[in-house]
Amino acid sequence: MCTGRVDPALVAKAFKKGIDGLMVVGCYFGDCHYITGNHQAKAKMDMTRKLFKFIGLNEDRLAFRQCSSGEASVFVELVSEFDQKILDIGPLGGDGDTVKAPEIFKKLEAAEAVLAGEKIRWIIGKRTPFLETGNMYGEVFTEHEFNRAIDMIIVEEMEVQEILARLKETARSVKDLANDLTIPPARVFRYISALKRKGMVALDTVAGQTPIFQIARQEV
Amino acid sequence: MIYEKENRYIIPFDDVPSPRAEMPEISVDERRGNFVEVETGFPENMSVQEAKRCLSCRRCLGCALCWAECEPEAIDFSIPDEELDLEFDDVIITKGQDNAFYPIDSKLGFGSYADVITDIQFERMLSPTGPTDGMVVSPLDGEIPKRMAIVQGNPDSEDDQILSSLILGVNESIIALDRTKELEVVLISPINQAFKEQFLSEAEQVSGLKMAGGAPDSVERKAEGKPLILHYTENSQQKDEPFDLIVILTKPRISSEIESLSRRLEKSVQ
Amino acid sequence: MQDKKVLIVGGGIDGVNAALEKAEAGAQVTIMEKFPTLGAERIPRDRLIQPDDAFVNPDLNKVRNHDSIQVLTYSKIKKVSRDNGKVTAHILKQSLRVDNSKCNDCKACIKVCPVNMFDDFDESLSFRTAVDYFNPATGEYNIFKEDMPVCQQACPVNLDIRTYVGQIADGKHLDSLATIRDRLPLPGSIGRVCPHPCETACNRQYIDEPISICFLKRYVADVELNKEIEPVYETPEKKLPEKIAIIGAGPAGLTCAYHLARQGYENITIYETLPVPGGYLWVGIPEYRLPKKLLQREVDLIANMGIEIQYNKRIGKDVSFEDLKKNNDAVFIGAGCHLGLKLRVPGEDEYEGKGIVDCVTFLRDQALGNPIDTKGKLIVIGGGNAAIDSARVGWRMGFDEVYILYRRTKKEMPANPWEIDAAEHEGVIIQYLAAPVEILGKDGRVSGMKCIKMELGEPDASGRRRPVPIEGSEYVIDAETIVPALSQAANLEFLGEDHGLDINRWNTFDIDEETGATNIQGVFAGGDVVTGPDIAIRAVAAGKKAAEGIHEYLRSK
Repeated sequence: MCTGRVDPALVAKAFKKGIDGLMVVGCYFGDCHYITGNHQAKAKMDMTRKLFKFIGLNEDRLAFRQCSSGEASVFVELVSEFDQKILDIGPLGGDGDTVKAPEIFKKLEAAEAVLAGEKIRWIIGKRTPFLETGNMYGEVFTEHEFNRAIDMIIVEEMEVQEILARLKETARSVKDLANDLTIPPARVFRYISALKRKGMVALDTVAGQTPIFQIARQEV
Repeated sequence: MIYEKENRYIIPFDDVPSPRAEMPEISVDERRGNFVEVETGFPENMSVQEAKRCLSCRRCLGCALCWAECEPEAIDFSIPDEELDLEFDDVIITKGQDNAFYPIDSKLGFGSYADVITDIQFERMLSPTGPTDGMVVSPLDGEIPKRMAIVQGNPDSEDDQILSSLILGVNESIIALDRTKELEVVLISPINQAFKEQFLSEAEQVSGLKMAGGAPDSVERKAEGKPLILHYTENSQQKDEPFDLIVILTKPRISSEIESLSRRLEKSVQ
Repeated sequence: MQDKKVLIVGGGIDGVNAALEKAEAGAQVTIMEKFPTLGAERIPRDRLIQPDDAFVNPDLNKVRNHDSIQVLTYSKIKKVSRDNGKVTAHILKQSLRVDNSKCNDCKACIKVCPVNMFDDFDESLSFRTAVDYFNPATGEYNIFKEDMPVCQQACPVNLDIRTYVGQIADGKHLDSLATIRDRLPLPGSIGRVCPHPCETACNRQYIDEPISICFLKRYVADVELNKEIEPVYETPEKKLPEKIAIIGAGPAGLTCAYHLARQGYENITIYETLPVPGGYLWVGIPEYRLPKKLLQREVDLIANMGIEIQYNKRIGKDVSFEDLKKNNDAVFIGAGCHLGLKLRVPGEDEYEGKGIVDCVTFLRDQALGNPIDTKGKLIVIGGGNAAIDSARVGWRMGFDEVYILYRRTKKEMPANPWEIDAAEHEGVIIQYLAAPVEILGKDGRVSGMKCIKMELGEPDASGRRRPVPIEGSEYVIDAETIVPALSQAANLEFLGEDHGLDINRWNTFDIDEETGATNIQGVFAGGDVVTGPDIAIRAVAAGKKAAEGIHEYLRSK
């Protein structure tokens, strides 16, 4: 299978199941049968590493490396090097990661939802046209700009998916969500009103001074 | 949170380097008696780091995901702008929907505390089609306030400006009190003669509303998670009281676009 | 009056009500609003209300369905003029990019849109996405696409900052330089002297500090210089024959010539009074801020496009303005402001040239290597960048002590704050709240200046507090040289008499802002000679605009 087809959502799923490291090995740039498959793979893995760093997982647990099918010794070297690296980092959610188990598994669940979502998939797929021919308005992006757009989506989508995941468990107030997720309450408030506007979240009830929100019916 | 109309909403991200790079310079001793260039320029690594700080502001990314999702095919990026040349016998200039206002004293905490908002924002909040469906909440934590203050942001304004902002303040209080259980509103503003004669007795009958003649001094939060403390003067007496939400009565102004249009056409704004 | 056509600007409640009223009275109404939909309900500001009738709602459906009302939302007036009571307007109606007659309000688009932005309609209390409805009461969807980011908008030449900074971040330094040169032919010079309005607008300031946009521009220009790459500015193969004369080789004139050459004009001549190019960039900006070698190189690159620069050619003396007009198809005036204003205190005229020298002359003499007597102390009067430059130049030239006298405080000083700091750092003594009273002399030369202390009084028309003299606080500073650096004015004597050009009360030209055209066909103007003393990048912008104006004029002839 072409590394360009490795789905970041599957990567997150693998980590959620408890693996400690994952290496994607693709062809050298220029050797791709599909021309840009390995470039796409690198972009996808870079993005996934960024997301892992954001959620508090050591991003070195995920690696993208290159070698050709004839280079057995290089492959062996890559694998043993990565193996040692993972041994050094230690088990998932331990000392090697900023967020520990079991909290990290909740984060990975939301990360999987982010990576499986349309937004990230669509934008990462637009990388080549954005950098070469331009967007719908014919505006060509610099790599830096494209990465910034990805950063923005990672942060916002991650926070939104975490909010939605908590609301799926039970109805909550802005304050509760902010406490659980350590996101400033003012930000949660904005996300909630945006989700309400999209019809994804609705007011459940008002308990004393506290409005409680729930997931909208059609989203369940 | 920043309130800056038409500006991009900014999210911080860890890997963005910070802060701004300083330009290297030759020392003062090296400058006397010659005209050697003082600023020596960024070296490459510094320039690249500095460039990476750029947020690459852009709103619509032009990704066309909405277009792909739109079932009735209503989204069409190729709909062109139209340019029209028109002739009129007359023109009427109104202020439009741009609710510009004069700057607010930074001591009142607007722009630094999320629970200090303007009367225009509060009006949106009260609107049934607004962001909170008409519910009064604090944008800081989404809680319904128990005590809120409405304060005059420009206490030195002309009489008619004070009058109209007082009416707006009382109107907003009436609606907020009507919508919200156990709410207490304190309206702090100089109360002028015109308001006293026409509206004061009516305003004083609104239950839950307290009119305080005076002016706000400053707003502060002593510690995270604590309510705001408003320092104000009432009858030359200094008061310090906690509030869950503070609304500032602004002094409206004509937006610069409309103003320059009105100047060019020599037509006043209605 | 039947069929009277009325334009209503602003689609708020006032505008909507006025539109209905006029339409009912039989007029043909056009209502225009800059936001994507018309106004919403508001709480009244003129009477006390009961909650039941809390909001005033304009009758939007009636407006939208009225036969004699045309609704133009998401529109801007690009050009407007008033003649004999008639108003003509050129209106740009921006595309909503959503066909609302097909939209079924399913919200699928806003669920997937990856861009959150402040909602203008809700006064930034909440988010909207880039594709969204604006006013929930009207439900019309639009895609919010800004013309350009805030930095680019703030830049007078609208440099594509987002792209060139991004290219630096990507390590593509020469591509970045090419992006800049698409609009600005003097990146190294402007990258050193620009007071960067773009950085004032930068959104990054709300997190920590703005991006150092200006120095990054300088950086990429330096990369090319240090790598000793000699670029060639391309001109099209198809040449255009018209003759164009440009007065002044300053930033406005050079930019105008550059953009015209890029259109294919091959008969462009720049007439320059001085023996050097660059205008104020050469004779007004000191070497320690902008090395002449670098400026010369940037000018050479422009001249190599086939542009002739005639130095030491004073219009009105060596060539008459009339002849210039006659012998060319178009003329661009970018003469700048090279006349220093006077202090108007006793003794000034008496010692003119004997120790009193205005800042323009002082800086020019230094830049051209003319002799300057650097004995004793120097006093510079004023608070602008020219004052700081004069003082820092004087300090370098070896005056014993250098003073700046400014009548307000540091806060009000119009010079760039970093320049003020640099001057103080170098040992220039700045006396704030002080003003000159009289120039003192001895043996036919300046010997000092009587000054008076000031205090700040009530704000004046400009909003700054007016300085008022403190009675009896006069004091004397000994000095051998005094440099007034108040402001500069344009010198339009070169035009001769009967030139017929519209000159306003500031002794600068009145031009069409879109094209740079003056009232005389074929004559264009831009830069300081239009705006009064201003920053270089605005002169560059004027030069570019005029080049477009000239091209359009010559092609439609």
